Parts: sequence; structure tokens; C-alpha cells
Amino acid sequence: MTWINYVIATGRPVEGLVERATAVGGGPVWGLAVGPAPVAQRLAQSGVERVVWFETAADVPAEALARGLAAQVTARPGLVWAGRTAPERVLLGAAAAALRAPVLTDAVDLWLEDDRLVARQAALAGRLWLTLAFDRPVAILLEGGPAQADQPTRASVEIVAGPALTHPLRQVDWRPRGGAPVDLKAARRVVAVGRGLKAALDLGLIEALAEALGAEVACSRPLAEGLGWLPKDRYVGVSGQQVSPQLYCAVGLSGQAQHLAGARTADLIVAINSDPDAPVMAAADYILCGDLYQLVPALTEALS
Amino acid sequence: MRIVVAHKWAADPQEAVVGADGAVDWSRARPAVSEYDAVAIAVGRQLADASGAELVGLSVGGPTAAAPLAAKAALARGLDSALIVADPALAEADSAVTAQVLAAAVTELGQVGLVLTGDCSVDRGARLTPAVLAGWLDWVCLAEVSAVRWDPTGLSLERESDGGWQSLTLSPPAVLALAAGAVYPPVPGMKDVLAAARKPIRQLDLGQLGLELIRAPLLLAAAPAPAPDRRGVVIDAMDPALAAAELVARLSHDGLTWEGRP
Ligand SMILES: Cc1cc2nc3c(=O)[nH]c(=O)nc-3n(C[C@H](O)[C@H](O)[C@H](O)COP(=O)(O)OP(=O)(O)OC[C@H]3O[C@@H](n4cnc5c(N)ncnc54)[C@H](O)[C@@H]3O)c2cc1C
Repeated sequence: MTWINYVIATGRPVEGLVERATAVGGGPVWGLAVGPAPVAQRLAQSGVERVVWFETAADVPAEALARGLAAQVTARPGLVWAGRTAPERVLLGAAAAALRAPVLTDAVDLWLEDDRLVARQAALAGRLWLTLAFDRPVAILLEGGPAQADQPTRASVEIVAGPALTHPLRQVDWRPRGGAPVDLKAARRVVAVGRGLKAALDLGLIEALAEALGAEVACSRPLAEGLGWLPKDRYVGVSGQQVSPQLYCAVGLSGQAQHLAGARTADLIVAINSDPDAPVMAAADYILCGDLYQLVPALTEALS
Repeated sequence: MRIVVAHKWAADPQEAVVGADGAVDWSRARPAVSEYDAVAIAVGRQLADASGAELVGLSVGGPTAAAPLAAKAALARGLDSALIVADPALAEADSAVTAQVLAAAVTELGQVGLVLTGDCSVDRGARLTPAVLAGWLDWVCLAEVSAVRWDPTGLSLERESDGGWQSLTLSPPAVLALAAGAVYPPVPGMKDVLAAARKPIRQLDLGQLGLELIRAPLLLAAAPAPAPDRRGVVIDAMDPALAAAELVARLSHDGLTWEGRP
């Protein structure tokens, strides 16, 4: 039996996922586009064989279409691939339940072996690697993102309408937070700050260092969620962004496993922390033990 | 109406010891109400008070989920009652299985208008359980919800999304995963702990739910994650200016340059 590979798109780039599904899915790749027309149009040029489009009005979030998407995948079962944002996860969950499928999350690698999907999964906040074999169908939560390889522009494939089964859900307002959206994954250098910072105003110190380094500002989870000093797309870790920069400068953050799992593949890690026993110190290439309020301005100064 | 909070009794994976053969020793780790589930319970309490609903905690897991301590710790956080499905078959349950059992228990309980969850569990952190649960129930699901308001016509929600703040309305039933920082859950006091001892706890037998559990993937191998090879060079930071100069010199030596943005 041929299994379809469905790739879910809600507006974020999924070319990288389409590539993975094509490489290891072992079957035709179809796109499931949930959103307004541009979402379907972009997906139709991403390398999929066809696109099933779940059209939403401007005031209807993608999650409202979970029901239609579930109906689509049960009509023709397969592997379902989706990225890690909130709407992508909700749609993937609906598909997984509809298919009675196991789920694969936190895969660091995956391949097809003896007609089974085999994955290396980072478990225990990235501390343990499990090798797991899945029978299909399976629901796969994987970092989406833009294409890895340089892709030629492709002709658009057919777009067909999916079942229009919706949940009662409406967006009544959207207010921009200000500040440009950031793609930390693409950043060559990152300065990440944690709760060692005493006040939101002190972010100026971190921004000045980032500017001098030519780096993007990132943070630990509590700074983005809870304190709300930085937008959510700037926190790094198992639940946040996974980054791979040339330089990761961790300032006033303890470096718990859940955080460091997101910076595992950085070339160089610099730790600035007042606690010599903070876990980040054991995971760094260069260790500066001291007060960030003295070390950060000194470093900015030394760079300019 | 009932509001259910799905919560997990779990230990922090940082306290587990990973052996060279990939075996995990949890004996030194102490389970607790999973960190972000406390957020969901606190939000659930506010909503139950505003709507007059009963707030039921629902916990699914291995035999430890049924320990008296587990139920009491959750009840002390403000639940009205606790419902537990504990079974050895669920000790290693992943999101797919946990969600399947949660859904069956919610259906069995009845009269549930809303299920709240934390952002993710401390031990697995997959962030998928609420989504799969909603799929089983065929209810609407939203994740990363930072505020919920109850009014007779439905629910109003807020969340951070695509670099902005989104306001939404929906009609129950629904599954909502709360953002990790939606509220700072209060630490239970002596009064809460004493009150918890008098609250009803009910156990549901997994067998009674009559489920054919989602098959787990086959475990082929386990190994500690490879530790990245880091240099661990300590730069003396007594004098910040000297330390900064040394770091810059070392980074330059590593081939990094500073002319504007790379
Ligand atoms: C399920 C789950 C998922 C999670 N996912 C993530 C995730 O994706 N990303 C994430 O980041 N976290 C995540 N966390 C949270 C994580 O476990 C840590 O709690 C968090 O990363 C700690 O943030 P922090 O380092 O900023 O704060 P803290 O741990 O409080 O560390 C602050 C650090 O600042 C240092 N410091 C204080 N003052 C100074 C000073 N003046 N100068 C220099 N240093 C100073 C201290 O020594 C300390 O090391 C998750 C947690 C759970 C339970």
C-alpha cells in the first residue's frame, strides 16, 4: 500500500518539511494548506504533488479547520507532517486522533528502514537519544522552516478544496506587538539573556552587545513567557527556537537542559554568569564568571 | 457544567540519571504536579469561580499517579475533586496514548464544557497532548492561551501569535492549553493542604474505559545524548576590561570578525 505524506502549512514556511517528507516518507507528498489563498499558493510551489486547501476567512484562525483536516486524512490515511507552532500542533493532533496514529516528536534524525519509519528522538529534555520504529500511519512534529537545499522555482500544482468542516472560533482583534519578526534559526550570532537581568530596561545593555557583535537578541523562556520582556519567538530551547549559530553568547541564564537543548549545535558557546556552578558553565567554550552588569558593557566596549 | 484540568504527576528529567547504556534511573527524582499544570489549575479555579462550574482534576499515568500524595498536591492547588486513571500500562504513555485515555475519561465524566492543560509536561514536553485530546473529542483546541474570560455567550481568549496579540472568541466545548506564563500559580498554603484532605478523589479503571490503546513505537535502542565537545576555557573575570579583551582576542583567533552585521 502506498502511504500519502501530508504536510500541513498554515503560513509559516514548510519547504524544509516537504523536503524531509519527500526524502524519507516513502510515498507521494501532498500539502494540506489551512489559511487564506497565499498559503495554498505558496504550498503549491513547494515540491508537493497536489494541495488540499482549507480556506479560511481573514478572521478565522487555522485551528477552526481541524475538523475538515481530520476528515481529509481519514479518507486516505498516511503520514502527517507538521511544524511546531501552536496552530500546526493543533492540526497535527486532530489528524493523529483521527488516524489513531502514534506521534513522533523531538526527532533529531529519521529514515525509512524495512518499510518502517525509524527515528532518533531526543528525550528527557535532550539528554537521552532513543531509536524508535513506527508503523504507519504516524503523526510527525518536526521543525518546519525554509528549504535546506537551493530549490528551483517550481510550477504550481493542482489545488483542490478540502472538506469545509469548521469549529466555532473567531479572531476579533489582532494588535502588532511592535518590533520586526525574527528568524533566530538563520542568525549567525546570538546573544541570549536570562533572569540574571534585573529589569526590562536593562535589555538596552544586551541590545548594545548584540549590535556590537552583529548578533540577534534571544532569551530564556521566563523572559518571554511570564515576564514578557521579549516576544515569544525569541526564546531558545526545547519548547522554543532551535538555533545553530556560529556564536551563542549566554548571559545571566542558568542553562537548564530545556534551554541548552535549543543551542546544542552552536559552534561556540560563551557563558557569562555570576554562579560558577550554573549548568551553562559546564556547557561553554569560554567561561566568564562574574556580574553581567560589569562584563557586558566591558565586552561591548572591547568590540567597538 | 464541569471544567476539567488535565494534569500530570511527573518528575523533572534533569533529576534523572542517564546511564552509559541509556538506562534511566528515576530513583533520585521526585515527582510533583508538573510545573505548567499548576498554571492550568490556577486559571481553572478563576474560571470555575466566574462560571459556577465544578473544577475537576484529571490525571492519567502509571501507578504513581494514584498515590494519595499526588491527588492531594493537585487538590491543594484549588481543584474541587480529582479523577484518576492509573495503570501500569500507562507508566510510559506518550502524548498519543495519554490523550486517548484523557478523552475517554472526559467523556465518561460527562457534562464537561472545557478542558484546560498546561503548555507541556515536565517529563516529556512534547506539547501535543491537548491537541490530540481535542482531536479525540472533536472539540476546538487552542494552544499558548495567555488569558481566558468566561461570559454566558462563550469564551474570550488572548494569546501571543505571529508577533502580535490575538483576541479570539469561541463557544465551548473546547480544549485550551495555557501559555507557560499565563499566571504565576500561587503556592498552596496550610489551609489549602488541609482542605485538600477532605476533597473527593475518584479512580477510574483503565479496563472500564474499554479502549484499544494506540500502539507505542518499538524501542530499538537508547543511549545518552552525545555531549557536545566544548573547550571549557575559563577566562579570569576579576577585571572586566581585561576579561573582555581576552574574550575578543580568542574569538578573533577563532575567525570571528566584527564589521557590522554578518
Ligand atoms: C517542560 C518545560 C519546558 C521548558 N522549556 C524551556 C525552553 O524551551 N527554553 C528555556 O529557556 N527554558 C525552558 N524551560 C525552563 C527551564 O527549565 C528554566 O527554568 C529556564 O530556562 C531558566 O531561565 P533562566 O536561565 O533565565 O533563569 P534562572 O534559572 O533563574 O537563571 C538565572 C541565572 O542568572 C545568573 N545571574 C543572576 N544574576 C546575575 C548577574 N548579575 N550577572 C550574571 N549572572 C547572573 C544566575 O547565576 C543564574 O544562573 C522549560 C521548563 C519546563 C518545565
